[in-house]
Amino acid sequence: MELLRPSSLEEIPASNSLLLAGGTEVVPQLRSGLLQAERLVDVRGLVPQGIDGTRIGAGATLAELEIDPQIPEALRESCRLAASPQLRNMSTLAGNLLQSTRCWYWRLRWPCRLHGGDECFARDGEHREHAFFGNGYCASAHPSDVAAALLALDATIETTARTFPLADLYRLPTEDDRRSTTLAPGEVMLWIDVPEPDASVYLKAMERKLFGFPIVGVAAVRTGNATRVALAGAAPVPWLLDGPLDDATPLPGTAYKVEIARVLVRRAVDAVASR
Amino acid sequence: MARLIRTEKEVEGRYEEVWLVVDEDALDQWPAGPGDVVGRPTQRVDGFERARGEAVYTADLYLNGMLHTAVLRSPHAHARVTRIDLSRALALPGVHAAIGPGDCEQLTDLPSYQGAAIAAVCADTYAQARAGLRAVELELEVLEPLLDADEAVGRGQLLGEQRSRERGDVERGFEEADVVVEGEFRTQVVLHNSMETHQAVVQWVGDGIEVHISTQYIWGIRDQVATGLGLPPDKVRVICNYMGGGFGSKNGADDYTFIAAELAKRTGRPVKCALTRREENIAAGNRNATIQRLRIGARSDGTITAMSGEYVNAVGWGGWVAGTDGPMHLLYACPNVRTVLHGAKLNLPPMKAFRAPGFVEGTFGLEALLDELATKLELDPLELRRHNHAEHDPVDGRPFSSKNLLECYRRAEPHWERRHEVRARSTDTVKHGVGMASQVWYGGGGPPSYAWVRVGSDGRATVVTAMQDIGTGSKTAMAQIAAEELGIPLEHVTVSLGDSARGPYASISAGSSTIPSMGPAVRAAAADARRQIDEIAEQKGTPDAPLEEIVALLEDAQILGKGARGPNPTGMQVLTFGVQVAEVAVDVETGEVWVERLAAVHDVGRVINPLGASSQVEGGIIQGIGHTLSEQRLTDPRTGRILTTTLDAYKLPTIADVPEIVSELIDAPDAHLTNLGSKGLGEPPIVPTAAAIANAIRDATGADVRELPISREEMLRALRETRERRGAPAAV
Amino acid sequence: MLEVNGHAYELPADAGTTLAEALRDDFHLTGTKVACAEGHCGACTVLVDGAPTLSCITLAHAVDGAHVTTIEGLRDHPMVASFVRADALQCGFCTPGQIVSAVALVDATPAPTQQQIRHAMAGNLCRCGAYPKIEEAIRTWRD
Repeated sequence: MELLRPSSLEEIPASNSLLLAGGTEVVPQLRSGLLQAERLVDVRGLVPQGIDGTRIGAGATLAELEIDPQIPEALRESCRLAASPQLRNMSTLAGNLLQSTRCWYWRLRWPCRLHGGDECFARDGEHREHAFFGNGYCASAHPSDVAAALLALDATIETTARTFPLADLYRLPTEDDRRSTTLAPGEVMLWIDVPEPDASVYLKAMERKLFGFPIVGVAAVRTGNATRVALAGAAPVPWLLDGPLDDATPLPGTAYKVEIARVLVRRAVDAVASR
Repeated sequence: MARLIRTEKEVEGRYEEVWLVVDEDALDQWPAGPGDVVGRPTQRVDGFERARGEAVYTADLYLNGMLHTAVLRSPHAHARVTRIDLSRALALPGVHAAIGPGDCEQLTDLPSYQGAAIAAVCADTYAQARAGLRAVELELEVLEPLLDADEAVGRGQLLGEQRSRERGDVERGFEEADVVVEGEFRTQVVLHNSMETHQAVVQWVGDGIEVHISTQYIWGIRDQVATGLGLPPDKVRVICNYMGGGFGSKNGADDYTFIAAELAKRTGRPVKCALTRREENIAAGNRNATIQRLRIGARSDGTITAMSGEYVNAVGWGGWVAGTDGPMHLLYACPNVRTVLHGAKLNLPPMKAFRAPGFVEGTFGLEALLDELATKLELDPLELRRHNHAEHDPVDGRPFSSKNLLECYRRAEPHWERRHEVRARSTDTVKHGVGMASQVWYGGGGPPSYAWVRVGSDGRATVVTAMQDIGTGSKTAMAQIAAEELGIPLEHVTVSLGDSARGPYASISAGSSTIPSMGPAVRAAAADARRQIDEIAEQKGTPDAPLEEIVALLEDAQILGKGARGPNPTGMQVLTFGVQVAEVAVDVETGEVWVERLAAVHDVGRVINPLGASSQVEGGIIQGIGHTLSEQRLTDPRTGRILTTTLDAYKLPTIADVPEIVSELIDAPDAHLTNLGSKGLGEPPIVPTAAAIANAIRDATGADVRELPISREEMLRALRETRERRGAPAAV
Repeated sequence: MLEVNGHAYELPADAGTTLAEALRDDFHLTGTKVACAEGHCGACTVLVDGAPTLSCITLAHAVDGAHVTTIEGLRDHPMVASFVRADALQCGFCTPGQIVSAVALVDATPAPTQQQIRHAMAGNLCRCGAYPKIEEAIRTWRD
């Protein structure tokens, strides 16, 4: 395996290049066989890292963002509550958005649908950490707190190829296409544009007090009279809640998550209403 | 002087009557209270080595030419190897040897649990060994696994026989009761997850073998390896200078030691075989799940008239049946008790001892049901426990060597008193409550254990042992004991340990037995050295001269003292006792639980090092909190395959999960137990934690929690059931 | 070239080598421990340009040119003595990683509150449960 450190984005080989920034997903996944790569390309110096108005560099680390007073509270809080201090030092915004599910069947390489197989083992198996929306085909849950916050904030992503709403970074996996993200090969995220809301909040339920993936995370963002709510840990992708929680489709073992989501959504919406 | 006696030996609650050669224990105990060194807070004598990363653990060991091993472990809970071919693995660069079923006893072609070892490859690097493993051609026929504990009991698939114990007349006892409570309690599979995984480095030297291993029992490994390989025991040298945690999982040699030994024999090189963290979560042992169906009957004044329990330990494919029924027999004075205990043999990884095996689980069920009884009787839970206090061993009437449980209750009163102000902090969404639980466990240790003390002309002493310090600070305690007995400063005492070739037999560091087993031997050895020095002083005509002055005469000569652990008191029950009081907060809408404060009062005889002891108490409580709230080994229900193999899925407590811990030790020497009067402390602190938390949750919310872990799902279920029971409107 | 504790080391040949492997196997600096090898426990924590970093999931080549500090480079830091004094260790396997994270914390915040300590140390697991005394050691490190 080779590790390239090009000095510009243009130098990134068009094919066969696995991008490496913080490496907190790429390195363990390479070592456990979830990813294969002949060539890694270190893009840390090449992807913007600072803050420019409402634009945040895709290379900014969660540690930098958790202490930044300029950014919306929901984003700051989602960074602060994510992972561990070491992981926050290492991981970038873009990397966090692109992280894989923690579904144990997927992580342990059971031949599930996301691995190209024809069964979702969580469905009739052990699924207490899994989804309660969008889970008809794949029951995995998206673990990113930051993605839920940015989705509620209606962020826009600028890549080397295009500019688009963050929601379009994700797609539910289907029979003919098992991917949950839409970046094209060679497409690199550069900026995340985060419009400033009137109020925003991020609430997170975890199994232990710190250092855990969300059982469910709720981001609520109010701009004027409109409030957007997005959920982490709820669906295979970050989930915009644009209807009642009664529409949730929990599995028997994820019904408790809907109960918790109800409470956190109410609390989050109340919190941004009164600020 | 050595003599042959018949005595009772206990480890982890299992008793056996044995013939033993023991030495006398002729020393009087020191008076109660701190001495010059013993009983005073003392920093770990090896603290700097560990903190600076200078301590060499088995994981850090490199021997010249050492090879690395990767083990092929069954991915299935039950399977049969139909074809295995190692030839492609052997052809890969760096691979030196590969072994399969039949090449050593620990490799099987009929794996009966996930993680059972099938084959192993050793190579120059671990990556090459892994590549070798991938090149092993393996075909498995997957067989149907038996995974359900009740089903196993129904089918008679048990480990050993059903164990029934009874005293009195339970039927009549329940008839006499004014109130009867009953319930089914379940506890989950919990994994030790020591920070250093299981591993050994094995090297054949001459006609013998050297085993460097992360272990709790140097001498047990020596025995096991000798027997397993057909060697005389003195040709087996076992070395463990530092080890990164065990908690009961590292009492034996397991498979990796023998795999390494076989590979070392074939290659003529030292071979390391280390479990990865994933293997650790799959095949390194566990605290088994339990199902407990319990019943308690009492008169309206709170006198317990009968207790019965049916217990199923889901032990997995092997191990042993821990005493989940123990607390019910030992804690209270009730004359009528009946228990039946089954070990369900399942296609799951075998259990191993884990910090008070059986008693943590059994105390949860018993003490939680007892609080339900208290609620029904409208009696104060502390009063109920005091009322049923047992002055003598309730099983056979034997006197206790020492028991200060009533004093523990007394010292718990101010913590229990706080419940009024704690409850008053409750709001509509967050309820606060206080709960308590009693603790009983073993901890007397026993013979044999030996130590030597060497004093030179510089007035400094070396305590020579072949014991291990598994992180409890026992090395420091031994230094303190020797310093106290010799009357010299602690800084002048060195303890050597960790090598079976360089010292005499030492006990296992499990079952809370190191200080009560090794401590008296060290004291006896120091006393023997002291006596010899006194004799020299006598001969010189200066009987009151300080030790340094007498030994200054020695030049190259040395004083060698030897000591042994004497017998346990006969006809007495030796146990430890305690009580914990937990304060919790519960968000009744989200099911989140905070343990805010935990007060622990334990009676473990004389405390050698109050500083190290408080660390043991805190550590046990924190493991108890993990067991109670967040830890659970999960399996796929259909195949039995382990799903929680990594430390993100298996949730150990972090520093953020720690409550305010207030701990107190009675520190009253057990007058009948050895020349120290000390019992072990490793296990007592974990025993009552789950029950105290569950009872606090009931106090706060009225919810009966009957299952561990108390996950969000379980907490919400219990809250919902409480609301329904009370006829309250559904929340939210 | 890797700079570790102020000394220069040659980069390992294999670009897939992690920093932890390079430190332990190539440079024989075994103070940094590997307990999970997947970034979940913090035992392998080292400082990269002063920031606590998980060496088990960092590629050695990726820190070419950065300053790496391991526990060996902190052996005389007052935090070490504070840990020993407070008995903030038991088996000691997680301790080097704990101390590295603790040093980074007090470099940024010399007198941290309990909440700041817990937030900064949540990524360092300790199975022995030395947490209360780790907190105390950090609170009293200048004493």
